Amino acid sequence: MRLLEFQAKRLLREQGIPVPNSKLLISSEDLHDLSYPIVLKAQVPVGGRGKAGAIKTVFDAQEAASTLRALLNTTVKDHPVKAVLAEEKVAIEKELYLSFLIDKHANRPMVMASAAGGMDIEEVAQRSPQRIIKKHVTLCPGLPNYLPRFLAKRLGAEPHTKAFVELFSKLFYIFQDYDATLVEINPLVVTPTGLMALDAKMLLDDKARFRQGERFDEFLKEQAPLVAEAKPEAERLAEEKGITYVQLDGTVGMISDGAGTGMLALDLIKATGGEAANFCELGVFGGTETMRDAMEVVLANSQTKALLISLIGGLTRMDEVAEGIVAYLQQNEVCVPLVVRMCGTEEERGKEMLRAVGIQTLDDLPTAVRTAVSRAKG
Amino acid sequence: MTILVNERTRLLVQGITGKVGSFQAKIMKDYGTTIVAGVTPGKGGATVYGIPVYDYVEEAVEAHRPDVALSFVPARFAKDAAIEAIENQLKLIILTAAGIPDQDMVAILNFAASSGVQVLGPDTPGLVSPGKCKAGVHPNRVLKEGKVGIVSKSGALSYEVCKLLTESGIGQSTIVGIGGGPLWGLTQRDVLAMFEEDSETGITILLGEVGGMMEHEAAAFIEKYARKPVIALIVGYDAPRGAQMGHAGAIIEGDRETAESKVKALKQAGAFIADNPAEIVSRIESLGV
Repeated sequence: MRLLEFQAKRLLREQGIPVPNSKLLISSEDLHDLSYPIVLKAQVPVGGRGKAGAIKTVFDAQEAASTLRALLNTTVKDHPVKAVLAEEKVAIEKELYLSFLIDKHANRPMVMASAAGGMDIEEVAQRSPQRIIKKHVTLCPGLPNYLPRFLAKRLGAEPHTKAFVELFSKLFYIFQDYDATLVEINPLVVTPTGLMALDAKMLLDDKARFRQGERFDEFLKEQAPLVAEAKPEAERLAEEKGITYVQLDGTVGMISDGAGTGMLALDLIKATGGEAANFCELGVFGGTETMRDAMEVVLANSQTKALLISLIGGLTRMDEVAEGIVAYLQQNEVCVPLVVRMCGTEEERGKEMLRAVGIQTLDDLPTAVRTAVSRAKG
Repeated sequence: MTILVNERTRLLVQGITGKVGSFQAKIMKDYGTTIVAGVTPGKGGATVYGIPVYDYVEEAVEAHRPDVALSFVPARFAKDAAIEAIENQLKLIILTAAGIPDQDMVAILNFAASSGVQVLGPDTPGLVSPGKCKAGVHPNRVLKEGKVGIVSKSGALSYEVCKLLTESGIGQSTIVGIGGGPLWGLTQRDVLAMFEEDSETGITILLGEVGGMMEHEAAAFIEKYARKPVIALIVGYDAPRGAQMGHAGAIIEGDRETAESKVKALKQAGAFIADNPAEIVSRIESLGV
């Protein structure tokens, strides 16, 4: 089916795509409430209407009447004209071309665009095809319709197939729309009147907070007073500041600039006869602020008897984290021994900044761990 | 020819005008990497340390034919940048961003797979073949050209190991950071398989951690196919169950996700288990590779 122009434009308007104001004319009796000039366009399902004389601009009612009569008496490429679209005349600066179509050679949707739009587009396509940009669009198949029907059969819920299909697609919608990593109904019960979710569990992806913001915040706000659990002060502080922190039972505080090297430090602490007080890492792009906050968090744990800061910078810049350490020391009195291992990106500058406040850094992790473990024991 | 990147690699840096992107681009360029172009939407026409910047990947591809894209694009825009690189058929895309939503990663990984494009990451330091090409953020001082191939989830843990290797005079063929998960493009198993076929690599090091089942898959591969010696170091023995140890994927949710279980599987598969980086060095020295 090929839509007539006025039908296609109605679809565009319904989607909020701007189109000229218009009125469909079937006879000269429809020629009222128009402000001139207007463009009269024969509504026939063929292209090249402009060149075939089926589009005319008129400047007053008299001219409109005679032109309309003429159009309604003509045939455009074997199609008798039965309707004419009267449109406001629009000031044009530039004519572009844009379309989507199925590319039958590539079996994919294709977008075509050109800066040379308008009446001559067919000619442009033939003579200078490079002026038309063609790009394929990739679509994922999404949820197939057979799947819930198949599952209903396998689950022995065939009598409820229709309800199951509906529930299935709604559940998947929630899964996608809320950036869930799990949506679970268990049990999904069959009752004399149909299907019903008796329990529900959902996990939402915190990483999607940037686009789910308000929705996620509302859930959190709502549940905050209901799930209050007794948390150590350091953990509460870590959450508030967005620091990766896991409290442990020992006395050697630990801050690293990577997860793997942090876990290695914990293992080395244990192998050296110590017990770690926590796991804390700065994460990707951890800089000055993160370092300062991490020290505040780790030292908020009163079990900490020595603090090992283990840094091997790749993305993390040693000059930035050194600035964080210095900033913390300037604002706080630190009562436990501090052992800093520093190497990697911008290490010379970082070490220099720490030397200036009296901190000698180590280069070797096992040595740093041994030092921290023995200091923690006093 | 080293795996994934080599002296002929033509690198494209996405997000090159950002603070981190421009800083790291300079370090990589100084190291000798051929960075042919950078991309940042809206910054086309600029240059970063002499590297031309384009608005779109397609423009950079037309002008410079890069074959690997290293992305410093932040998590919230990472999917779109990755799709753009995949559509333009770069053969490998490297995603440094942490915190890309799972559903975005699912879209990236599926589209890449159907387009024949490899993905490294997310949350990866990238990779480097010392002396040939650095498409990553590894500190230069820990790198030395040689025969040891390294695959690691953690960037910093691979720096720790490389530092000791280099200080002991042992060089590396390629150091690949596959990233912290929780979803991965290239896996430990994929990279081990590449090292196995790689004439530049004589011995491989697997650096793993708690969480997920990937080390078990690697063990299954080692048991069946590995002819070259594999040394494995797994960290996180002390990680409490259910705690997120920094990486999105480093969380113990089942018995087989502990360091003990992984070490057991790797040992049974024939890998040498090192308890710390120093043991890796002494093992390599005793193997004489």
